[in-house]
Amino acid sequence: MVDIKKIKRKLVKAGYPLIEASLKNGSVVLSGELEDYEGILECGTIAVCKESRGVVNDIRLKGYAPEKMRICPVEDKAYDGESPDVLVIGGGIVGAAIARELTKYALTVTVLEKEYDIATGQSARNDGMIHAGIDLKPSSIKVKYNARGNAMYPRISKELDVPIEMCGQCVLYTKRWQKLLFPFIKARGAKNNIPVEKLGPEEVKKYVPEPGIKYGGFMCPSAGILSPYQMTVAFMENAVNNGAVLHTDTAVTGIDNDGEKITAVRTNRGTFYPKAVVNAAGIYSDVIAEWAGDRHFTIHPRRGVEAVLDKKAKKATSAVIGKFVIKSSTGKGHTKGGGVIVTVDGNILLGPSAKETPERENEATVPEEFEEMIAKQFKLAPKLKRSDIITYFAGTRAATYEEEFVVEKSPVVRNFVQAAGIQSPGVTAAPAIAEDVGKWVAEIVFGSDVKYNTNFDPIRKRIPKPSEMLPEERKKLIAEDPDYGVVICRCEEVTKGEIKEALRRPASVPAVDAVKRRVRAGMGRCQGGFCSPLVMKIISEECGIPLDKVRKKGAGSEIAFRYTKGGDR
Amino acid sequence: MRYAAIVIGGGPAGMAAACAVKESEKVLIIEREARLGGILKQCVHDGFGVIRFGEKLSGPEYADRFIDEVYSRKNIDVRTLTFVTDIEKRNGYFVVTTTSGKGIVSYEGENLILANGCRERTARQVNIHGTRPAGLMTAGTAQNLVNLMGIMPAKRCVILGSGDIGLIMARRLTLEGAEVVGVYEAKATPSGLQRNLQQCLYDFGIPVSLKKTVTLVHGRDRVEGVTVSDVDDDMRPISGTEEYIPCDALIVSVGLIPENELAENLGVPIDPRTKGPVVDQYMMTAVDGVYSVGNALHVHDLVDYVSEVAETAGKDVGRRKSRASIEVTQKGFAYLVPQRIDAANVEKETTFYFRASHDTERAKLTVTINGKTAVTKKYSMLKPPEAVRVKLALPVKAGDDVKFVLEDDDDGNV
Amino acid sequence: MTETFEMICIVCPRGCRLKAERTADGIAVTGNKCPRGAKFAEEEIVAPKRSFTGTVRSVFPEMPVVPVRTAGEVPKDKVKEVALLTRDVLLTRAYGVGEVAVDNVCGTGVDLIVTADMRKVIGS
Repeated sequence: MVDIKKIKRKLVKAGYPLIEASLKNGSVVLSGELEDYEGILECGTIAVCKESRGVVNDIRLKGYAPEKMRICPVEDKAYDGESPDVLVIGGGIVGAAIARELTKYALTVTVLEKEYDIATGQSARNDGMIHAGIDLKPSSIKVKYNARGNAMYPRISKELDVPIEMCGQCVLYTKRWQKLLFPFIKARGAKNNIPVEKLGPEEVKKYVPEPGIKYGGFMCPSAGILSPYQMTVAFMENAVNNGAVLHTDTAVTGIDNDGEKITAVRTNRGTFYPKAVVNAAGIYSDVIAEWAGDRHFTIHPRRGVEAVLDKKAKKATSAVIGKFVIKSSTGKGHTKGGGVIVTVDGNILLGPSAKETPERENEATVPEEFEEMIAKQFKLAPKLKRSDIITYFAGTRAATYEEEFVVEKSPVVRNFVQAAGIQSPGVTAAPAIAEDVGKWVAEIVFGSDVKYNTNFDPIRKRIPKPSEMLPEERKKLIAEDPDYGVVICRCEEVTKGEIKEALRRPASVPAVDAVKRRVRAGMGRCQGGFCSPLVMKIISEECGIPLDKVRKKGAGSEIAFRYTKGGDR
Repeated sequence: MRYAAIVIGGGPAGMAAACAVKESEKVLIIEREARLGGILKQCVHDGFGVIRFGEKLSGPEYADRFIDEVYSRKNIDVRTLTFVTDIEKRNGYFVVTTTSGKGIVSYEGENLILANGCRERTARQVNIHGTRPAGLMTAGTAQNLVNLMGIMPAKRCVILGSGDIGLIMARRLTLEGAEVVGVYEAKATPSGLQRNLQQCLYDFGIPVSLKKTVTLVHGRDRVEGVTVSDVDDDMRPISGTEEYIPCDALIVSVGLIPENELAENLGVPIDPRTKGPVVDQYMMTAVDGVYSVGNALHVHDLVDYVSEVAETAGKDVGRRKSRASIEVTQKGFAYLVPQRIDAANVEKETTFYFRASHDTERAKLTVTINGKTAVTKKYSMLKPPEAVRVKLALPVKAGDDVKFVLEDDDDGNV
Repeated sequence: MTETFEMICIVCPRGCRLKAERTADGIAVTGNKCPRGAKFAEEEIVAPKRSFTGTVRSVFPEMPVVPVRTAGEVPKDKVKEVALLTRDVLLTRAYGVGEVAVDNVCGTGVDLIVTADMRKVIGS
């Protein structure tokens, strides 16, 4: 039983006598108004208790009007009346993995993504770690899905032709006393079946020849890395090839519920009538849950900034970084230490930071957060230089007060499945979450007589990448299609053939940034300075879009306003 | 067949170098774009060739003269839309592997002339925070869009950085009907040439604000505005001075970085001041047979000098039999090129290029050889954005200790 | 009466800072490092001139815009007029460098010439 009185007492004791606490739908609902955001967060944390389904924190921030969900300005009836068996809300890595999993069943699957492309939120804005899970609470939902997902990735990598590297994670102690913690870490590892290797200051050098901090650490060999947006694209391409339908620029604006189940999902492109609905809406997953009729948690966005370093930095510091992920030991609260990562593409990635913010969709970087983050990470690898930083970006993670995933078949709404509140280690957990979601959806739609898609093909081939091919292989490809010989992005050696193929793939989007995520054109040290006009031209030619209408990302991001000479062509 | 020289980059530097190689020697130019000319193709403004041809030519016109020369020369082969993927140094020659629509082809050359130009520093690389929407681009990209593709990336824009390309684009966008709200420069003095300030900004009443920088970009899909702030002497934004300026584009012209990834792979030592290779007076790097010319060597103010420097390299191909390079010690410069002198092949005069480290009313250049003053020269009004070219008679011998010093000249007369 | 003018010489890249004084006797220029500077200052005071550079449209998709410039300088206050006029110019054949796109542009007596060899881009 949830002891509401006890929570109320705690709130009063913490200085929040005016905050109301009540029990609704099995969760603790907070209401009232506070002047500072920290206070709202503190109340949310106080209200966490094992017996409840979660915290619904409805405390308003005084003078702050919550941002409106960003919705593509298009409003029409393009998809009105569509009635797929299952509607997946959200085209991040979780939604994409779920979509692919669902196509293993004899189901019609439609994915709704409110942005212009898949993998634009957290899925493009994280460090791509396949976590070992050593920092996760034993017996948590997170650790369960993390372990399963971790074990699934080698096979998925082969099926979807997306490279992963199980390079291990080297954790450095930032303070001398932390080495005393090793027995606990080891025990935790044993409990979760995660191998851990103790490293003294000298042994660290086996993995990190010149560590910035010299107190030793430990190694988790079962950690790895992947490109999270490439993986998302691969999941979705494979899903679409197996029959799933993707609607981008399609945002859910409301959900109709007849008291026991969802009857309709309204969007800016028309109303859908699915048999089952999956909530994989990331940073907006609590809003979707509310509309669906089963909100029992709260997303409090947590912004992180990461810096990308020149591939040359890896070379210059190869002795420092090795092929290993260095992470500083878990710090206080929920701000994991972040780290120094050599990505699968050979860049070094620093970060992330962690800053609580009421803004779900503000992905602007903030100088103070950035400076603090790089100062911290440079300590781990002191040979890195500021001038090696080629870009930086921020994203918001979908944290709940329980710091847990919400992965469940709703006990309240009959045809609703949630994969919500997914933040780190969401990339690792995604395929495992998808497996369970798939089962639950099949139960909802088929009952006990589950039917499978006998034509499901798990194999997806990546876009050919000449720069990584052997000369003979490369020659053969160019002979078949000369465009694979013409380099467009000089920094990343991306060819015209790759860009054209990216535009022809299922789930492709004719926008410069969408091309960038798929083939890396513009991801190098000049950041698209040279290649973006060429990429625009290829998009224009390949997709029949006038040059002045080619976009960087979604609607309203046309790179040009018009032709020169005052107008039309 | 083995080429006497393989020139990488078919811009002004690469073309001038190739044309300067003796006609009896075979030369190959490898160009990654569809046409020769490099960045000059998009520089439709004039001012090119005043020194070399005594005419004010546009960029394409200046390039065209060299393009005609290249194609008229029987000893020069050209491969366009061809990209170098690898260079391997063998015993006394180089193997350059390329990719193009025709396949993977390797070429052999006794010498390499690296003329691959420079790239632009981006907004993120000068610490600009906020969003990354459409409308945020470098001046060179904007120039490409407007002058080659014929599309307009701005209606009302802010320009950050007073480098020449930024100034040129301010005028260009204005004449195409856009409004340039202002040019912001974090330094205390403009980076571009004085005459560009005059004819690109003052002529059109475009204001320049010094010691101010853009700190934040706003707008998610499209630039909606920028925040500008005053900066202190270390170019750090001063809090409390923020000002929001509505605009739909931010065009940054905040410096050029020589592209030397190929050079670095060959083990060519890089001068941290120029960010280009260390070279001798014939533009040969410390790796035998590898030359560096054009903006890959150091960022030039004028294409006329790019051509001149590149020709020095081209003429040297296959000429020197022995070399005895000594390092020049330098003090008081932003940079000095060449950084080495081949004492075995000193001619009557050696050409040097340098930039002052700060604005100076009066300055004195002193060159000493083994502690003895060989040359002194006085200058008035030195500014870092304006490189100085000077020919000096330096009778240097192998093993000499050569020192260049540039200092403020307090005792007056120029 | 003496009028004083300060300006930057734009004749060559050196960018001399010029001072000019206009009296009843004429214009006296200082700060110039060559005679062209004195001439520039005088012109700048009496009738300033500039060259125009820009682009015009062509019918060829390989080269949608083509660089042009005035063959010489035009009165400074005509520059915007020339810029506006370039909007209406459409090249329908492949021009070579120096070929006249518009003669006597805006009545200045100066021609607008093409500055790139279109034949090299689009074939002849």
